[in-house]
Amino acid sequence: MGWLLASPYLVYSAVFFLIPLFWALYLAFTNWNLISPEYETVGMQNFIDAFFSPSVRAAFWVTYKFMLMFVPIVIAGSLFLALILHHLPRWKGLFAVGYFLPYLASGVASSIVVKGVISYNSPLNQFLRDAFGWDIDWLGSPILAPLVIALMMAWKFVGYYALLFLSGLESIPKEVYEAAEIDGAVGWKRVWHVTIPMLYPSFYTVTILAVGLMFGIFTEPYVLTGGGPEYATHTWQLEIYNQAFEKLNAGYGTAVAIINSIVTFASIFVFRKVLEKWGGKHGWE
Amino acid sequence: MNKRKWFKLAALLMAAAVIGTGCQGQTEKEQGQKKGGSTVQIDFWAAPNPTQQAFWKKMADRYMEEHQNVKIKVSPMPESPSSEAGIQSAIAAGNAPVISENISRGFAAQLADSRAIVPLDQFEGFDDLIAKRQMKSTISTWKFADGHQYVLPIYSNAMLFGWRIDILKELGYNAPPKTYSEVIEVGKKLKEKYPNKFLWARADLAKPTWWARWFDFFMIYNAASNGTHFIDGNKLSADRDAGVKTLQFFADLSKNKLVLTKETKDPFESGTSVMSDLGPWTFPYWAEKFPEMKFNEKYVLSMPPVPDGMDPSQSKTFADTKGLVIYASATKEQQQAAFDFVKWVYSDPQNDLEWLKETNLPPARDDLSTNEAFVSYFEQNPQLKLYAENIPNAIPPMDNAKMVEIQELIGKEALNPVVKGEKTPEKAWEDMEKAINGVLK
Repeated sequence: MGWLLASPYLVYSAVFFLIPLFWALYLAFTNWNLISPEYETVGMQNFIDAFFSPSVRAAFWVTYKFMLMFVPIVIAGSLFLALILHHLPRWKGLFAVGYFLPYLASGVASSIVVKGVISYNSPLNQFLRDAFGWDIDWLGSPILAPLVIALMMAWKFVGYYALLFLSGLESIPKEVYEAAEIDGAVGWKRVWHVTIPMLYPSFYTVTILAVGLMFGIFTEPYVLTGGGPEYATHTWQLEIYNQAFEKLNAGYGTAVAIINSIVTFASIFVFRKVLEKWGGKHGWE
Repeated sequence: MNKRKWFKLAALLMAAAVIGTGCQGQTEKEQGQKKGGSTVQIDFWAAPNPTQQAFWKKMADRYMEEHQNVKIKVSPMPESPSSEAGIQSAIAAGNAPVISENISRGFAAQLADSRAIVPLDQFEGFDDLIAKRQMKSTISTWKFADGHQYVLPIYSNAMLFGWRIDILKELGYNAPPKTYSEVIEVGKKLKEKYPNKFLWARADLAKPTWWARWFDFFMIYNAASNGTHFIDGNKLSADRDAGVKTLQFFADLSKNKLVLTKETKDPFESGTSVMSDLGPWTFPYWAEKFPEMKFNEKYVLSMPPVPDGMDPSQSKTFADTKGLVIYASATKEQQQAAFDFVKWVYSDPQNDLEWLKETNLPPARDDLSTNEAFVSYFEQNPQLKLYAENIPNAIPPMDNAKMVEIQELIGKEALNPVVKGEKTPEKAWEDMEKAINGVLK
């Protein structure tokens, strides 16, 4: 009976996950261009090409660069927001929903808005030029362009992650704080030695989600920078899209997608181990 | 029932679902032919643009009234994440339409290379269609390296440069510059009077975005080379001398700080720049957002500038142009029926006029500026007249399956570093040639 009840899910998984997965694994060893009826198997050539490709190497490092910028910003921002929401005497739900709204905004729409805000003749840049003589090339600089994208994504996800932290904060028993107070932990000491360690499950979830997100960035660099300048914002997804759909190298694009999934899996695994070690120190198993 | 039996049942269900999904496309296709006995069903994918969809729906309805044995279903092509990707996915899944519009020559080259589309010149009545639509000269540049015509151009935007004539007049000019040295001279005068203004604001000049090259490099290169093909078949056939001159022009613009490569919102409309690459799609946008942009008052149009010593009246430009293709996956009967429909549409210039009124995109006809049918339209829309006149002077994109890589390399190896002052035009051209030859190998 169990198999029968599970069969809709099994069928769904087979059609939409397993078959495409095995098909992708096969395609990665071919030179199929997505539309031609004829193609050949090329062995490991796609993987070898990807290994030596400057754009794949760029995608690899750019992801970690984004991670270095995005993860601390989004964790600090969402924790700060959660602490404010937690201490609000009323309208907590309303504010929480308000901060969550950017998460629902279309990536294309918000990218276009950001493009307008940082354009050469925007009021912001006009002001910076007139007041300080700063003529900033926001999307033309290899340092600023990824930072703009990381900040934009942090704005989008901060409200969502704040909700996860908020639920963590709400679940810390009052008794823990009372005990800490008796032991002399007040103010910042209380936050550092009680709140943050008690929020370990939320930190764990948010960090893993944020790290995983960095391997799937597409819309923002696609609209804002196209991966430039000089590959500074060239992500895995941009590389896969460009190869498979722009250059019609579907076999090669699939190989890059498989490498991407392996790197994602390995990175998340490492982060999990580090976080679990930190959690273990504070009594979390 | 034991566990094994349940497992078998689940496996059977899975197999049925997979087979059912796989067969769906085929069943629909077969139905397209069988439905109603001799009725031929054609799926027509129109551009994901309401005006173009409205035009094709109207045409299909009229055609079906006259031809009861043909059923044409017009629907917008999927555009997630782009219309090209939508078509590729449909072909891969076996759900390609019989015919679609919105296909550039470059993308058609990729499709033709994979034998996903059929040559149109092999249909009976092709020459008659070309003659009736008066497009012999326009379509001559569309011939593919294998001698066939795979795309029937619907519209052709001969890309022009817009010039802020109000600002030029302030600088003492009554007409836009026509040669490189004249352009630089205008730019220098502009900088003297307005240090914060630029000749051309174009962030794409510093980016390797492949399609951006159509609206900067190829506009200038086509003018300098008299339209010499950049790629011929599978060989780089570009005019080196014209190419280096083109890059030198960009280098001079950059050296004199006349180009702005930062993202800028509506730079031409706001007067931040005085020159801009313009297609006719701009004018409906201006009518809505910038009604003050009046032709001959605020702006004028011109063909791209040419190197000193060349005749500016012979200038060529890039043709932003798209057309119709017929897919190889359709049955012979469907293909012929689709071609007959197209022939019917283009046998009457009034249909092209209707298209022009609906979309503002100039039909790809040699006689667009002289045919009586369009005279009154151009009198009411004088800004479009120069576009119409220059259709035969506009060169469509290259017909090479590696177009994306090639155009990316033009940016990466040549245009971007030249604009950034990192390479001399000669070195940039040499590097670009080497890289493109590597791709064409």
